[in-house]
Amino acid sequence: MSGSARELVLGLLIGCACIVAACSDTPRPAPRYPDGLLRFDSPPGEKGYWGRASVSSLFERGVVVGMSEQGLLDNIEDAARVAPFQPWALALYEYRQSNGLKDDPVRFCLSPAGPRHLHAPGGFRIIQERNYDRVYILFGGGNRNWRLIHMDGREPPNPEEVSGTYYGHSTGAWEDDTLVVESSGFNARFWFSNGGLPHTEALRLTERFSRPDFATLRYEVTVDDPLTYTRPWTAEWTVDWVEGGEIKEQFCEQTG
Amino acid sequence: MTPAAVLVAALAASSGSSQDTNSTDVRLAPRWPDGTLSFTGPPGEIGNWDGRPGSTLGANVFEDALDVSEFNLPTNLRIDEIPFKPWARALYDYRQATFTKDDPHTRCKPSGGARMFHTPYGFEILELPDTAEIIFLSVGAPHSWRVVHMDGRAHPANAEPTWFGHSVGHWEGDTLVIDTVGFNEGFWISREGLPHTSQLHTIERLSRPDFDTLRYEITIDDPGAYTETWSGGWLIPWIPGNEPFDYLCQENNLDAARMVGPRE
Amino acid sequence: MFCKGIAWAVGFGGLAVIASPALAHHSFRSQYDADQPVTLTGYVTKIDWMNPHVYFYIDVVDAETGEADNWGFEMGPPHMLERRGWKRNSMQIGDELEVHGTRARDGSFTANARRVMLKATGQVLGAASSESQTITTGEPAR
Repeated sequence: MSGSARELVLGLLIGCACIVAACSDTPRPAPRYPDGLLRFDSPPGEKGYWGRASVSSLFERGVVVGMSEQGLLDNIEDAARVAPFQPWALALYEYRQSNGLKDDPVRFCLSPAGPRHLHAPGGFRIIQERNYDRVYILFGGGNRNWRLIHMDGREPPNPEEVSGTYYGHSTGAWEDDTLVVESSGFNARFWFSNGGLPHTEALRLTERFSRPDFATLRYEVTVDDPLTYTRPWTAEWTVDWVEGGEIKEQFCEQTG
Repeated sequence: MTPAAVLVAALAASSGSSQDTNSTDVRLAPRWPDGTLSFTGPPGEIGNWDGRPGSTLGANVFEDALDVSEFNLPTNLRIDEIPFKPWARALYDYRQATFTKDDPHTRCKPSGGARMFHTPYGFEILELPDTAEIIFLSVGAPHSWRVVHMDGRAHPANAEPTWFGHSVGHWEGDTLVIDTVGFNEGFWISREGLPHTSQLHTIERLSRPDFDTLRYEITIDDPGAYTETWSGGWLIPWIPGNEPFDYLCQENNLDAARMVGPRE
Repeated sequence: MFCKGIAWAVGFGGLAVIASPALAHHSFRSQYDADQPVTLTGYVTKIDWMNPHVYFYIDVVDAETGEADNWGFEMGPPHMLERRGWKRNSMQIGDELEVHGTRARDGSFTANARRVMLKATGQVLGAASSESQTITTGEPAR
């Protein structure tokens, strides 16, 4: 084979290898800090944010129901399958669904807080602030709010003594590459899912954030509210990374 | 030692030792390993910035004395010295005469400009060198976050007007300089009701002359409302131990209906 | 540097309750008239322990007529109150209170509370009032 032909073959082989690599199923691994800690935000020099969720509402893992982007069930008869409701809660959920979600507090610009922010539009970023042992989640939806997760091992306050909040009191810790966040101290003045699943101030959430590959956030939430549900239950979904993207400034509050 | 640990240790070292005071024992501001000033605190020293009441961009006259807080910059202009256009001065006087009853901030609207820097309950500053950003988090209304891009980008040519505008920043020595355009007109740039138009261009200068003080100055460049550029600002104290808390203006806001202003 | 010049005492007992300058997201002067101080005693009928301001309501009984006016009082946000020693259950429906405050300009039975005494225990708590902010003078600039 001549030299130029050899070069041509070599070039073709390299080109094919590149194409194979690009088309392979090997996803880009999640970024990490120099000390090995998983990084939920962009690696140095890059931009991006967590965008579209794989679900549009909360429903128990394993349940398959049709619903709209706003969490409105295609079929109201599916309501009882969504979660293990207490009877009053199922009635309230069905009521909210039946009247087209017209009482949704987001209409008054109250936050789509709790797990809702993580399946509602607008995107979010998870910022690990390592100076103060905090994780912030910055939301593009709702009223462009933010939430704070304490990573310093503190105990939550007594919910009997402090007022319930929209974002609750959150404390987090790492279990290998999973950030586990415990939250309590919520008020009941918001809907914690698209579609209006009820909750009370007894709500406790256990959230698990992981990043199995660069472009995927895996989110799992266990809902523990014995006043609303007959047992704890878990929902899970994934959120896609928007590479190079930046969250647009938008507020529920409009101009003027 | 990993870079993250170096950062953390450097912040601790720069402000934690008795050697890090000046000759009058004023504690110095902390710095990153590369010498960049930090607006945060060392590990374990939680705190944040909380603008004081009475902080204003312009000094009014009340009962023959300047109505000026100890925190306002000595270079602040008197109201008569601010180069208002006539309509803007008239609007400012109206807002003052009615005790700022029409303030959109009270109606839970976001506020760009200087407002966050004297809104109660404090703000946090997130310094993110990895993504070349500085993010301001407000605790009080609107409990939101404002991004300053530190990556040298230019402003977009036709930015859609927003509440916070489009901000780019750079360091001039120990002063963070933030240039912002692209504001909407739905807010007041400061609590006292100074007007602006969509032509507003601000240049903010933040510095930390000592550990406990953030010096904030804003230059107002708005040919729609003012005949010249002008500047004002105030000092903001570091509040040790202060932590952010959950706060939603929309929760039970009864103020707007009650802000009736003076009655004849 | 600043801490020297500011009284940061957080009081949750005793008569002289001086809290850190409490702030509001709005102009105190636009709602309340500093020339109309009020001191009222009554029984709690409602509590809204919410942002941006906690509101509570008391029935103030006219000793002569025996009729009650229901007064509403504004305090600071829950978090600021909780820093001043309040708990969310410090005040209960039916509690008797003595409230010192500033009346609303609109003539309603509304006031901004400066401090609250729980009559049953004598405990006095600061209200994280917005009164201390001095942004506007209300006078046209000269």
